[in-house]
Amino acid sequence: MTSRPPVSRRTMLRAGASLAAAASFGAPAILHAETKTLKITTWGGKWGDIMKGTVLPAFEKEHGCTVSADQAFPYVPKLQVSPRNDPLYDVLHTNSNEQWLAVVDGLVMDRITAKEVPNVADVYPYAVSDKIVGVSIFTSAIGLGYRTDKGITPPRSWKDLADPKLAGARGGYLIPVNSLGQCHLMMLGKVYGKGLQDLDAAYKALEQLKPIKLVDFTGQMEKMLLSGEVTEGVIHDSGVYRYDGQNQPVDFASPSEGVMALEQVLNVTPGSKVKELAFAYIDYMLRPDVQKLLAEGVWYSPANKKVKLEAKYDAKLLTTPAKVATLIQPDWKWYNARKDDIDARVTKILKG
Amino acid sequence: MPSAASRRPSPIAWLIAPALLLFVLFFVLPFAIMAAMSFFSSNPIGNPHAVMTTRHYERFIVDSAGIFHDALWETLRIGLVTTVVSLLIGYPLAHWMARMQSRLGHALALMAVITPLLTGIVVRTFAWMTILQDKGVINTTLIAWGLIHKPLPLMYNEFGTVVALVHIYVPFMMLTLIGVIGRIDERLEQAARSLGAGRLRAFVEVTLPLSLPGILAGSLLVFALSISAYVTPSLMGGTAVLTLPMLIAQQVGTSFNPGFAGALGVVLLSVSLVIVIAYNRILARLAGEQGLA
Repeated sequence: MTSRPPVSRRTMLRAGASLAAAASFGAPAILHAETKTLKITTWGGKWGDIMKGTVLPAFEKEHGCTVSADQAFPYVPKLQVSPRNDPLYDVLHTNSNEQWLAVVDGLVMDRITAKEVPNVADVYPYAVSDKIVGVSIFTSAIGLGYRTDKGITPPRSWKDLADPKLAGARGGYLIPVNSLGQCHLMMLGKVYGKGLQDLDAAYKALEQLKPIKLVDFTGQMEKMLLSGEVTEGVIHDSGVYRYDGQNQPVDFASPSEGVMALEQVLNVTPGSKVKELAFAYIDYMLRPDVQKLLAEGVWYSPANKKVKLEAKYDAKLLTTPAKVATLIQPDWKWYNARKDDIDARVTKILKG
Repeated sequence: MPSAASRRPSPIAWLIAPALLLFVLFFVLPFAIMAAMSFFSSNPIGNPHAVMTTRHYERFIVDSAGIFHDALWETLRIGLVTTVVSLLIGYPLAHWMARMQSRLGHALALMAVITPLLTGIVVRTFAWMTILQDKGVINTTLIAWGLIHKPLPLMYNEFGTVVALVHIYVPFMMLTLIGVIGRIDERLEQAARSLGAGRLRAFVEVTLPLSLPGILAGSLLVFALSISAYVTPSLMGGTAVLTLPMLIAQQVGTSFNPGFAGALGVVLLSVSLVIVIAYNRILARLAGEQGLA
């Protein structure tokens, strides 16, 4: 005689299926509750593709967290209106000029050391110099991009941009909104005057550059150069090098007076609820393998001295102490304190 | 003592309440915040040391650099020119469409007006850039034909800005006008003609006055959109064009000065309100106070 089990096989199967279903619905919620989220800002374009496709998923896996990346400018105003004790971002990625503006309002930390981020010990001095708030993970050289098919001599000096033959075919940036334009203005002070802070000389030199085509973003300058709308213009090296091997008649020149540094700076917000994770993220971004991946992907010069790039990248990017020494880092604290006056003055010069 | 029924809100109040709530949430509140911010030295949300001040307005009024007043005038000028050109282009087309007998023709024409609205303003502005820039379609063609030797200055000036703005906003003018003109009884015009008026006189004395509400609504819509445009003037104007929305964006996005941005916003809104009220009054007087109240 066989006794009937207290629960039938069918009932067991049904109960099992129900439990599995409940678990599959419930699990993400439980996981979500346990998983920390790191809120960061990042660039779009090719940089954003690499970040979202490879770099961030690997970080999430490694640290058992999720990363929420904002790619929509402008970041600092958004951070300004978020609560200090629960900021919109844990890690702020911007250029140096904005980090200096953010630190004045207490929105970011003023310094990041090897104590919080061990890989800082391996970066070139410029990446944590007194001209930096936070830590620079990459840099680009701001110089001159030019067309190779227009019969012009490759530029050697910043003064070459003033060549009358380039009237209306030279390019720059809207100085109030773009840090490359601001760097260019300071460089005019150095080339035509007593130094980066010689604004009178810079204004005079700017006047001589009219007519000049001005754009908001480096992406627009790239398009202007590629279309031939601009024959020679201010641009960072990666904006030209990234077309390497694509048969485009454009090249980059580092003027003899020096190139300005366009730093990609990471910084932590003081009120972040996941500060340790934020430091871990910066450490991860400074790791040689991550640095190599991004440097070769978007032609940015890595800040970590230990990074070994492929020969073609090594030849063009700033990968040795001697090459890095050619970078000029502006004093953004000085510039930002005068920004309103400078903006008004250059607007008047270029409109008049 | 009031009865319970009299204390209960009327059904009309319940109907109005959602619209009122939306109006308060999406217009009054943002404007109030912007106006309040314009009287603070820095962002009071994040900075406990922020104090009340009128310095942002003083900065605008004194205008030591001489760019803010120019920017205001340029903003209004671009708005007015864009509105007038949109009206001149939009009115005949709207009149033609409103009087079209064929339903299919009307539907196709309406689609042609609406289709550009389905494309983003940035895309349409970039399209104008490829047409008007020095290496653009027009200049390249004219140079290739030997008609000109150096590119015409079609872009990076007010001309290029207005061209792109008119293209972007003329559908708003047309859609407003089509509705109004379509409701004008055609027999009124026919009656005027049967009484001896020519086609032009019948239009000027009958159709045009009756379409004034449409002209008013369309003009105000285009004017408001044009003076608040940011993307198109900044891309098409280069350094030759500086409007208040560009300055506001600059103050928020790169100078991180929400107080001054708020002050500029309040100034722009106040000046445009004055213009709108004046325009409303003038058109109302022209129309003999009919249909414009």
